[in-house]
Amino acid sequence: MSSDKQAHKLYDKEGKAIKDRPWIFRTYAGHTNVWASNELYRSNLGKGQTGLSIALDLPTQCGYSSDHDIARPEIGKVGVPINSLDDMKVLFDQIPLDQMNTSMTINGTSMWLLALYVALAEEQGVDIADLKGTTQNDLIKEYLARGTYIFPPEDSIRLIVDMYEYCLHNIPSWNASNICSYHLQEAGATPVQELAFALTTAITILDAIRDRGCFNEEEFERCVGRISYFVNAGMRFVEEVCKMRAFCEMWDEITTERYGVKNPKYRRFRYGVQVNSLGLTEEQPENNAWRILIETLGVTLSRNARCRALQLPAWNEALSLPRPWDQQWSIRLQQILAYETDLLEYPDLFEGSHVVESKVNDLKEQAYAEINKILDMGGGVEAVKTGYMKTSLVTSQGERMTKLVNGEQVVVGKNKWTEGIESPLVKGSDGGIFMVDADAAQRTIDALNKTRSERDPARAEAALKRLAEEAAQGVNLMEASIECAKARVTTGEWSDTLRAAFGEFRPPTGVDGQALNIENDTLTAVRKKVETFIETHGYRPRIVVGKPGLDGHSNGAEMIAVAARHTGFDVIYFGIRLSAVDIVQSALEENVDVIGISLLSGSHNEITDQLFEELEKHGAREAIPVILGGIIPTPDFDALYDKGIKRIFTPKDFDLMSVMSEIIDVINEQKRA
Amino acid sequence: MPLSQQHTLLQELESIHQAMDAPLDPTTHDLLHQAAQLEKWPIAQLISIFERNNTESLIKRHAITRYMDTHPDLFGKQACIFGVTGTPGAGKSSLIGELCLSLLEQQPDISIAVLAIDPSSQSSGGALLGDRTRTQFPVNNKQVFFRSQASHLDLGGMGKATFHVMRLLRKFFDVVMIETVGIGQSEIEVQRLSDHTMLVMQPLAGDQVQFMKAGIMEVPDTFVINKCDEDALAKKSRHLLKASLKLAQIHLSGDEAEQAIFMTSATQRKGIREVAEYLLKVCSVDRPDNFDEQEVYFRNKWIREAYGEFGLGVFEHFKDKAELSRGTFEEKELAYKQLMANFLTKLK
Ligand code: B12
Ligand SMILES: Nc1nc2c(ncn2[C@@H]2O[C@H](COP(=O)(O)OP(=O)(O)OP(=O)(O)O)[C@@H](O)[C@H]2O)c(=O)[nH]1
Ligand SMILES: [Mg+2]
Repeated sequence: MSSDKQAHKLYDKEGKAIKDRPWIFRTYAGHTNVWASNELYRSNLGKGQTGLSIALDLPTQCGYSSDHDIARPEIGKVGVPINSLDDMKVLFDQIPLDQMNTSMTINGTSMWLLALYVALAEEQGVDIADLKGTTQNDLIKEYLARGTYIFPPEDSIRLIVDMYEYCLHNIPSWNASNICSYHLQEAGATPVQELAFALTTAITILDAIRDRGCFNEEEFERCVGRISYFVNAGMRFVEEVCKMRAFCEMWDEITTERYGVKNPKYRRFRYGVQVNSLGLTEEQPENNAWRILIETLGVTLSRNARCRALQLPAWNEALSLPRPWDQQWSIRLQQILAYETDLLEYPDLFEGSHVVESKVNDLKEQAYAEINKILDMGGGVEAVKTGYMKTSLVTSQGERMTKLVNGEQVVVGKNKWTEGIESPLVKGSDGGIFMVDADAAQRTIDALNKTRSERDPARAEAALKRLAEEAAQGVNLMEASIECAKARVTTGEWSDTLRAAFGEFRPPTGVDGQALNIENDTLTAVRKKVETFIETHGYRPRIVVGKPGLDGHSNGAEMIAVAARHTGFDVIYFGIRLSAVDIVQSALEENVDVIGISLLSGSHNEITDQLFEELEKHGAREAIPVILGGIIPTPDFDALYDKGIKRIFTPKDFDLMSVMSEIIDVINEQKRA
Repeated sequence: MPLSQQHTLLQELESIHQAMDAPLDPTTHDLLHQAAQLEKWPIAQLISIFERNNTESLIKRHAITRYMDTHPDLFGKQACIFGVTGTPGAGKSSLIGELCLSLLEQQPDISIAVLAIDPSSQSSGGALLGDRTRTQFPVNNKQVFFRSQASHLDLGGMGKATFHVMRLLRKFFDVVMIETVGIGQSEIEVQRLSDHTMLVMQPLAGDQVQFMKAGIMEVPDTFVINKCDEDALAKKSRHLLKASLKLAQIHLSGDEAEQAIFMTSATQRKGIREVAEYLLKVCSVDRPDNFDEQEVYFRNKWIREAYGEFGLGVFEHFKDKAELSRGTFEEKELAYKQLMANFLTKLK
């Protein structure tokens, strides 16, 4: 029989030629409120989707109830708000928990969301051992790239380990965390950094689990087997193919050598993917469809390193959240690749390729060197606290932007072949933009108030007291959290209790000491403008770059801060997640010439109001010009200008020196007025 | 310089001199009164006037100083000034943040200003001022004020601008803290401006050895070893520091040593209270007003930068002239510039 086998075919155990099953097609969904999201999930499930990938809104992710001041502008914007078990009940109404594979993009409050899920199952009489799913729960990448951290690193690691311990014993099919390199690439990481930082994260978690000594050898092996990854794939798709192969090999080596895992099943690198969105353009957005397709190849071509699940961004990524049609178009891409082509009929295509092997080895070598460097510095937590990894990412992002500006990296429609016929796609009635119904937030707040007024106050209080005590005692906090959930404690209360116990943490911004390698005519012209300003006014122009609200997209603000220094500004930048009040106060204390706000979360209208209100209070509204950058839909421009915003910048303004030139113009206009 | 230009320079200096006679303009007058109430933006705008390097600001600085000197009821404070220095990343900003909170707790009516200096870029001259990230002050609280300043390539990271800003802040606040970076010149300079200097170090990081080599160990009044998150680390660090001090032949008697060496962890909030209590004690003791000395130091520094050793020689020669040591810093500065301009004209 075996003699008949052909190297280019796949066979099953009986020797029959077969085709692989495709990866899981995912769509990340959730918005507005629990009612709207429940409807969306049920309709998706009705269409044959088997798993849920839940997007939560920023207040839920950052540990605030919807009625907190900082939450209001963000309720339901980029995901669904969850305040208590009552919300959870609505969200999963008529969805059988024991048959679902539920993946939640949740980090700072992941223990809380898992506790809510478990409590819901228990109240419904579902055996929790049957629950399947994932809580993202990778806090290291939150400090580095994504921004929804709450507690200091050590405490965050403790919560993660608590969850691994609880899950292995009670919900064996739950992935307590998902090691993410996806977000690192979105923050600028090179393939080597992606490999190194993600694997370092895994090592940090596994070391902490091992050091707790809560598992016997067999359990620890199983626990290693539960570690799964969420990675990224960009436009250099051949390199991405190699990166994925490097990941698989390195994980096998690390789990064998560092952790002595014997069962090969538990050493397998299991991963899901979202392909790169950072490179998707606002300019000629229709080209993004091709980019997404090419990026998909990087994680599907290798049979030996193929993703388990895939979710794709949409062609209008740089414009707004995707609408249902945009998502459908991306799903179609996956279906065409999986079902129309012969991709799934072959064994691994690259085995034996000298080119691929050499490239894989090269990536591995560099990544190991970086991992060892970080471990020598004291490991993942230390490298978060010192800012080593963050600084490296900002440097890489700076290099990426520099290449775009200098034209060293061609991006069609952005820095080459920029002229063309406008796409009819963006001419749809809504301008290709998805908007959230703002009034829906009130329904969420009403439900929250109802929960608070109807719950047993003594039970809620006792549950929180227990949580606080056990946090101090170092007990596993899962049980206490599940009791909180059942006692109708709110998201804000659970988080505040642990904030009081652990404190809060602000990671390094990574911008100190960053330089750009841009030397062009625009820079010369801007520096001249700065010199003239200094001669005229006797000081250097000062800018505060602010990130108000819960938006964690820091790339843009970091690049603007670094670019401003590069052109000769004195720059005040102090990180993400500040209130409008914080930013206005710093602008006043530092007596800046301009306030630059960066917002990508869709809350620019509300936050602009807060800012101007605060400036007004101090009589500074007319005196300090405010400019805005980020994902700002064109239809919002006029209203923002009317409120007093002086300039608006969007992703197409990638030429940092031109942006700075306009900023100095704004300052000069103000001085003349 | 051609003779005609010398004349116009003299004329210009003279017109500045005359402008200085004008009373304080109403806008600045209002700013001052609001600043006396610790209003943030007015203070910030005044700081800018004291930082800026142009004629308009010079004239305003003079008028403001004169006004403050003649209204001691409103501007009679003499802040206790703490210089905080040490290697980059030692935790100076974090420590200052925690110290301020502790000071507020212990003395609820205290007012504190922080001036944090960061280095400017060699190539562009711009600076990233990031110290703010490390402090978590209550917002809209008038009792704590935070300001960043770029070193603007001044040697030692502090210069005229820092000195000028201190002239102002000392009149408004009970306590002013200045944070500087680097080893060497800045430790010496910050000491000039401060009533009390703290050197912040990391545990077991070899800082002490570097400081000793640079002859810095003599400078500070207090040594703080920060990042002593664990008690064992604190003990070991204290021991090492004492040994280094001995090596550097700095002899602290038992009591003095107990008072001058602190182990803290800014992130774990350990040992902060002790330092804050000590600072309050330092503040409560009568301090000599060393402002005149400061002025001389920074005047000389400025002369050297503008005219070199020759300029200092000229000053030495004419130092008995009354106008060189009369009035505000700005008047003296102007008098000196006039002297130099005259001198140069005659040389021609
Ligand atoms: C990278 C990225 C991320 C990274 C961010 C990494 C980081 N540390 O910044 C990661 C993966 C972490 C991420 C996460 C999320 N993201 Co995201 N992300 C993006 C993406 C792909 C690119 C943004 C970017 O960094 N561009 C590069 C920088 C340099 O450009 P920029 O920010 O646009 O800045 C330029 C200009 O806009 C301007 N500018 C910007 N700010 C300022 C400020 C001033 C003063 C000036 C003068 C100029 C200026 O100048 C800059 C230089 O050219 C965009 C889509 C897109 N292609 O734009 C989505 C996008 C912003 N994300 C989105 C969403 C929904 C999320 C999540 C909420 C998803 C979720 N539910 O979990 C999370 C939330 C994270 C959080 N805590 O807020 C949405 C926002 C939708 C909306 N506004 O309605 C977008 C638009 C994608 C989409 N279409 O759905 N994201
Ligand atoms: N473990 C620990 N880390 C600390 C402590 N104090 C500060 N840090 C950390 O050390 C880093 C530098 O702290 P900063 O306060 O910015 O130090 P700095 O001396 O002001 O730094 P520069 O102004 O850049 O010279 C930050 O990551 C802080 O979180 C401490 O007591 N223990
Ligand atoms: Mg500092």
